[in-house]
Parts: sequence; structure tokens; C-alpha cells
Amino acid sequence: MKKLTTSLSVLAASMMLIGQAQADLRINGFANFTGGITSSDDTLYGFTDRVSFADQSLFAVQVSGDINDKMTATGQIIARGANDFNADFEWAYISYQATDDTSVSAGRLRMPLFRYSASLDVGYSYHWIAAPQSIYNVPYNNIDGIRVDHSGYTGGWDYNFQAAFGRIDNDFVLAGQPGQLAIDNVIVVNGELGYENWKFRGVYAAGKTNFDLPALDPAFAQLGQISPELSDKLAASDDTGTFVGASIEYDAFSWFVAAEYTAIEIADSFYPDEANYYVTAGIRTGKWTPHITYEKSDLNDGPKFLDEVANFPAPFQLPVTQLLVGIQQPAASEDTTITVGVRYDYDTNIAVKVEATQQTNDITDDDATLLRFAVNYIF
Amino acid sequence: MYKKMLASALLLFFAQFALAEIVVVVHPSNADSLDSKMVQRIFLGKEKKFPNGSETVPVNQSPESNVRQGFDQDVLGRSSSQVSAYWSKLVFTGKGVPPKEVSTDAEVIELVSQNPSVIGYIDRASATDAVKIVEL
Repeated sequence: MKKLTTSLSVLAASMMLIGQAQADLRINGFANFTGGITSSDDTLYGFTDRVSFADQSLFAVQVSGDINDKMTATGQIIARGANDFNADFEWAYISYQATDDTSVSAGRLRMPLFRYSASLDVGYSYHWIAAPQSIYNVPYNNIDGIRVDHSGYTGGWDYNFQAAFGRIDNDFVLAGQPGQLAIDNVIVVNGELGYENWKFRGVYAAGKTNFDLPALDPAFAQLGQISPELSDKLAASDDTGTFVGASIEYDAFSWFVAAEYTAIEIADSFYPDEANYYVTAGIRTGKWTPHITYEKSDLNDGPKFLDEVANFPAPFQLPVTQLLVGIQQPAASEDTTITVGVRYDYDTNIAVKVEATQQTNDITDDDATLLRFAVNYIF
Repeated sequence: MYKKMLASALLLFFAQFALAEIVVVVHPSNADSLDSKMVQRIFLGKEKKFPNGSETVPVNQSPESNVRQGFDQDVLGRSSSQVSAYWSKLVFTGKGVPPKEVSTDAEVIELVSQNPSVIGYIDRASATDAVKIVEL
């Protein structure tokens, strides 16, 4: 609630400033209407074997206006189907164009964690219906803080550097259980280089991570009675989490291939080390873009801290092991996903897409198949 | 007979081609030499200044027009839909505002002739003395 109040007051202040300056407002928007159905008894990305439209559909309006020559205020409101189409401020910030190449933004903004972070919600901006979930399904895309952007061009190279600093506070779901995520002193450093058809980028982020997962409280309490130290170690409370990402793409316009990789680690916690990647390729032929994507998500590195069990007296070793595994197991997962689809450019502001996705759970060998269709619109 | 038909068909083809020749235009006082890479960067919002240091104000034609589609394909090297997808990435992050759109060559000429910062593109046949043609 506090976050929303902050964003609202930033926006209100910005709009007042804009009002005073009587600057012209730019209103843009985008919408994704996405429907999907899985094969019988499967569930994937919130879809089931009954056709549904809500989960990945959204409608958004963005208003921005120039406060003066150097300052711009921007607010983006998104109504997500997954959230019953309740409208929320996705971001609200003021940008200051310090020089032609450098800008500073403050408020609630998108962190530059991924290749498509900036336009993640704008289905029209990429070939997929939704960006690959193995990489992009994280509960921390936005930050309350500041971001510095610097870009330039030299000797045929386009470069773009971004640094962000702030705080993340968000609801999240782990292994089907709701919780709260708070990351303090978040720092993100991102660099992107473009040369002719190539684009390379790398990102590093870190922050003091806190998970509040009520479902795990009883297990932590039990472990705490045996060993407060181990319980502390296992809990994600003010523990440094790191995020490393890299991507590469070659876009010849008539065809493209791209890959992205992320590794996430909260060493001093129960949360498994995470490594994910995807490789995607497509052909642009007239209005059609057929494409294929292979994704891998690995949070299945085995339970951590098992070597500590030996330090306990024999009678405690079994219960400690059970608690260690019991707390870590729910977050473990390993999936392989393949998606084939096609984008059709109906107009310069409307794209129609169809995709078939098959995900294999590499732990249980279960498959789930999903068919999705979408209309993406920008205005 | 066939030869005649072929000749007239070819003529027609070249006439069409000539009709659709797109040229970039700037204010007559603009002495910068611009290459296609520079024009591409200006129209993609990557370059905000002319080599002489003055501000650039690119002007687009409406997406339905042949001139726009030809320009996007020949100079920007991608379809108008791809260009619009490119801008959608920038617009919604406050990183850029796409060029203003007008609907006729005459409007482009008027804007260019009034402001040394403006750069546009038109069918060569529409060009007047009020603008300078940039040979790419």
C-alpha cells in the first residue's frame, strides 16, 4: 500500500507540474488479448483444459508529459487479467535529461534485468505471445528508486549503460504458496552493445533478500528448536542475492536468432541455485514471422547444507536432514519447454499470434501442452 | 508484337520504379553531408544531432503511404510493422518518441522549408526548390 501511495504522489506531483507548464501530454497504450487451452488435465502458466482468456491478457495506458525542457513525467497503469483487471500503477517516474546521452529517472521504474525488460508487457514488441517464462517469470521487475541511463555511438558501436538503485517489495508465489518478497539496497548494472546486426548484453544485480513465506514457518520453527544457526542460515532474511544475466542476438531482419541466460543465487538461504536459458529463432517473411524457442529452467541442484548434518549428534541427524530437505524441496524444479508459433502483422499497430508450447517437467517426466492465441495492439 | 508488349511492359515497370523513387530532403541551408547510416540513425531516434551539432527533427509519412513503406524498407531496412515494433519498445520506456507523421509530400516540404532542423523524405518527383535533396 505504501508503494502505491508513493507512486501516486509522485504521479500526482508530476501531473500538477505538467498542468502548470501546460505541456502537451502524450497518451499511448497497449493491449494483449490472450487465450489458451491445455491438453486434458494439464495446467501451464495458469491455463487449464478449459479455454480461458484472463491470465495473460492486459490493458495498459501510459501518460507522459514534458514538465520542462529537461524533465518528463511518465505514469503507466496496467489492468491485468491475472489480477481480475484491477488497474495498478506499473510505473510512475520523473526523468531528467542531464545531457543528450544521459538521463536520470526516479520513482517506480522497470529494472534493466532482461533483454525485453523494458517492453515486457508490450506483446507487440516481440514475436512471442509472452516472453519465455523460464527466464522472465520473476516477481521483481520493478524497483522503487533511481535509474541512470547513458547511451552513445562510436566507431559503429551503439552502447547503452544503465545502473539502478532502490528497493523491491512485492507479493510472490513459491511452489504454489503465497508470500512476500522484499529486497533492500538493490543495485543493478547493465551494459548493452550493438554492432551492425549483433547485440550483446550483460547484467549484474544484487540485493539484501527477504522471503516471508508463512507456509514454511512451522518447519523453520522446528529446525530452530534443534539449531537456531542452521534455521538462520536456511532462512532468506537479509541475505545477499545475486542475479547474473547475458544475452546475444543476431538480427538480419529477414531472420533472427537470439539467446538469453540468467543465474540467480541466494547462497545463504534455502532457495535453490537457479540457472535458466532460452534460444529462439525466427524468419520474417512478409507479414509472417514463424518462430521456435527452446527453454530450460534448472532449480534442481540438490538440497544445500547437507554436509552440516554430520555436525549434529546422531539422534538429531535424521530429523535435521528431513527438515533441510523438506524446506528446500518445494522450490526445486527443472523444466524443458519448446514453443513453436507464428506472428502475423495485421497492421502497423496490430499483431495476431498463435503458439503451441510443450513443457516437460524433468523431475517427474510429466508433459503439459498448451495452445495459445493472442491479439496485440498498440496505440 | 511480343517485343512491343515486352518493351511497353518494361517501360511501365521503370515508370513505376521512377515514380516511387524516394529521396531524403533537408532545409536548403543544411550543409551537412549525410549518408544512409546517419539517416537511418536519425529516423530510429538513435542520433539526435546533425554532424554540425544542430538538433534533428525527423518527420515521417503515414504508415499507409507507399513512400513510408518504401523508406522503411530501403533506408531503415525493415518493414513498417517492424519499425513500429521497434518504436513500441522505446515509447513505453520513455526512451524515445517516434517521429511526427504527416500525410503528404507537400506537408513534408512545408515543414522542412520552415525549419533547418527538420529532415524528411518524399517522392523525388514532388521535390521543389524549397528543399535540398540529400543523395544517399
